[in-house]
Amino acid sequence: MRTSRQLEHMRVLAVLLMLGFAAFPIYWMFVTSMTPSSELFASSPRLLPAWSQLSIYAEIFNTIPVATWLKNSFLVAAGTTVLSILLAVFPAYALSRFRFAGLAVLGFALFATQMLPEAMLVVPLYSIFGDLNLLNTIPGLVLANTAFVVPVITWIIKGAIDSIPFEIEEAARVDGCSRLDIVLGIVIPLVAPTLAAAAVISFFHGWNEYVFAQTLVSSENLRTASVGLASFVGELSTPIHSVMAVGVIYTLPAIIFYLFAQRYVVAGMTAGSVKG
Amino acid sequence: MRRTVNRLMAAAIAVGLAPWWAAPAFAKDKITFAAAVFAEAGRGDRVKAWIESYNQSQTGVEVEPIAIPFSSLANTVFTQMGGGGGPDLIRLDQTDFFAAIPSGRLLPLGDVINDKDYPFLGPDRFMKVKDVRYGLLFDTTGYALLYNKDILPQPPKDFESFLAAAREKTRDGTFGYAYRATMAERAGFWQDLCNYVFGFGGRWSDKDGNLTLNSPDVIKGVAAYKKVYDAGVTPKGADAATYRRMFWEGKIAMNVDNGGVAAIFNRNAPQLPFAAAPSPFPDKAQGLIMTALVVNANTKHKDAAGAFIKWAYAPENQKTLQAAMGTSVGTRLDMSPEEQAKQPWLRVYEEQMQNALPQLVMGHEDKTPEIQQIVLEQVLKVLLENADPKDAMDRAQSLVERRVLR
Repeated sequence: MRTSRQLEHMRVLAVLLMLGFAAFPIYWMFVTSMTPSSELFASSPRLLPAWSQLSIYAEIFNTIPVATWLKNSFLVAAGTTVLSILLAVFPAYALSRFRFAGLAVLGFALFATQMLPEAMLVVPLYSIFGDLNLLNTIPGLVLANTAFVVPVITWIIKGAIDSIPFEIEEAARVDGCSRLDIVLGIVIPLVAPTLAAAAVISFFHGWNEYVFAQTLVSSENLRTASVGLASFVGELSTPIHSVMAVGVIYTLPAIIFYLFAQRYVVAGMTAGSVKG
Repeated sequence: MRRTVNRLMAAAIAVGLAPWWAAPAFAKDKITFAAAVFAEAGRGDRVKAWIESYNQSQTGVEVEPIAIPFSSLANTVFTQMGGGGGPDLIRLDQTDFFAAIPSGRLLPLGDVINDKDYPFLGPDRFMKVKDVRYGLLFDTTGYALLYNKDILPQPPKDFESFLAAAREKTRDGTFGYAYRATMAERAGFWQDLCNYVFGFGGRWSDKDGNLTLNSPDVIKGVAAYKKVYDAGVTPKGADAATYRRMFWEGKIAMNVDNGGVAAIFNRNAPQLPFAAAPSPFPDKAQGLIMTALVVNANTKHKDAAGAFIKWAYAPENQKTLQAAMGTSVGTRLDMSPEEQAKQPWLRVYEEQMQNALPQLVMGHEDKTPEIQQIVLEQVLKVLLENADPKDAMDRAQSLVERRVLR
């Protein structure tokens, strides 16, 4: 009895250690953002935040358009999430349920798009977006990000649809449901946890993306937070407090979104791993 | 559950579609001006204010400053230019300036301004290639030794005393010296290396444009760079922004840096007792920082860009720009004794400018980025893998001849 309790304590301790290891960078950013300038490079670093410096966060919002950056990032991330899910569900269903010539090639082609780095595609994309008047627009960024996210989540959703028994669909068809009714009324609710996982992947891609956001958008009003954060790195100097404070602010919405969606994510990621 | 999913989806679609009708509409005829300096707190704000004063004086045109981080400026604007767009005006580093010319990305400016109307500084001659002007000198400065008088009352006069002082002052979280030695800061690493190579009499090429990467003097410069690296007097891994911050927090004793940095120290830490002195190397030659104001060949606003350039190079506006930048600008300006007294380091930098050389491989200016990459890779082998400087520079010479100049 005592041994099992000790084991339990050790497990809790191990989890706390791992949690501390994962959360420490965020904590360190927070502490650095509030460390007085004179102590920034002290040989013994400060481990607790100097609460008297909390006003840096108010200053940040007053002097830097962080709220605009976050709003733009949110629009890009949310737009990418919604569009990606809408565009991925139907090809995922087709890849899972239909048998046709070229199915394997199509599946491979979807994966092949992931082998090309963003940097390689950004010049032609810039040129095409220029012709379509999509440069310097949030929808342009949403489209560019969606193009990179859809192949990944299509395969994730396909895996989940594979695990839905055919019999359910056959029963629905006997009841007079069309294919579209089946996808919207039966398949989507059944793979909802996987859609949540796909939404998290899409959201984080849109939230963190830098190359497209830096290249396809030039107006400061449309700048996303990832680009805004990088813009602090100056030619000759970098305001360390501002970088760290904005870094903390930038991380928080993503963490909150993940906490909201996380209970679906694990179930969703493994939904297609076991068939039947 | 199903109803909840439907509601969530409806809400998500509403949010997701919001950006489609949130697209911006440009009310004014805007031209864009991209530069890394806009991203800098203080200096960037002052240069933006300078541009704003132009906008205030105009009715139909507006110049929009676009801040792009220094490390990604060239990649970003070259990508945009390659795609047929990009900012109308760009402030380019000298290396990127020469790299952009052969691909036809820069608009020739011969018909935009008349040289005779402007007292351009000497380095402006580099803005012309084969007698065609592709840019205007935007700002320029040389290099000198900046030292914290609280830590080091007198500057070292030669390399040996410099190294000894750096060793002596490295203790208790304070470092004797700082420079760049990582590929993450490729451009800055090259700038710092140029100071050592030039300072030991080396040049990347001779007067006929023949490569001299493995000449004895270049090897001496590389060996000196390594000597400083091995002395343990620098905060290894700290980027320039960090160690410059450390300097004004009193944690660095010496730093060979450009005049823009001195201006930043003065602005951000007015009480910092720093001074400037000639770099402690045997040869007085040091690197020359110069940036070019260029017009993108893709611009659809050539006249508006030309009008801004004419305004920017008017004497009164040059004076304001100089105050904002803290360095020399494109044209010669007179400074009153009072102004000079406020910034005593300026005189040292002015004197150093006489010995300043562009951080380019002369004769192969447009190939400098490729040569730079190979040279820095070999110097890193010297620093990190203890490769022999002569072997490394022989290899650099051979690689450049085979890969770049073939």
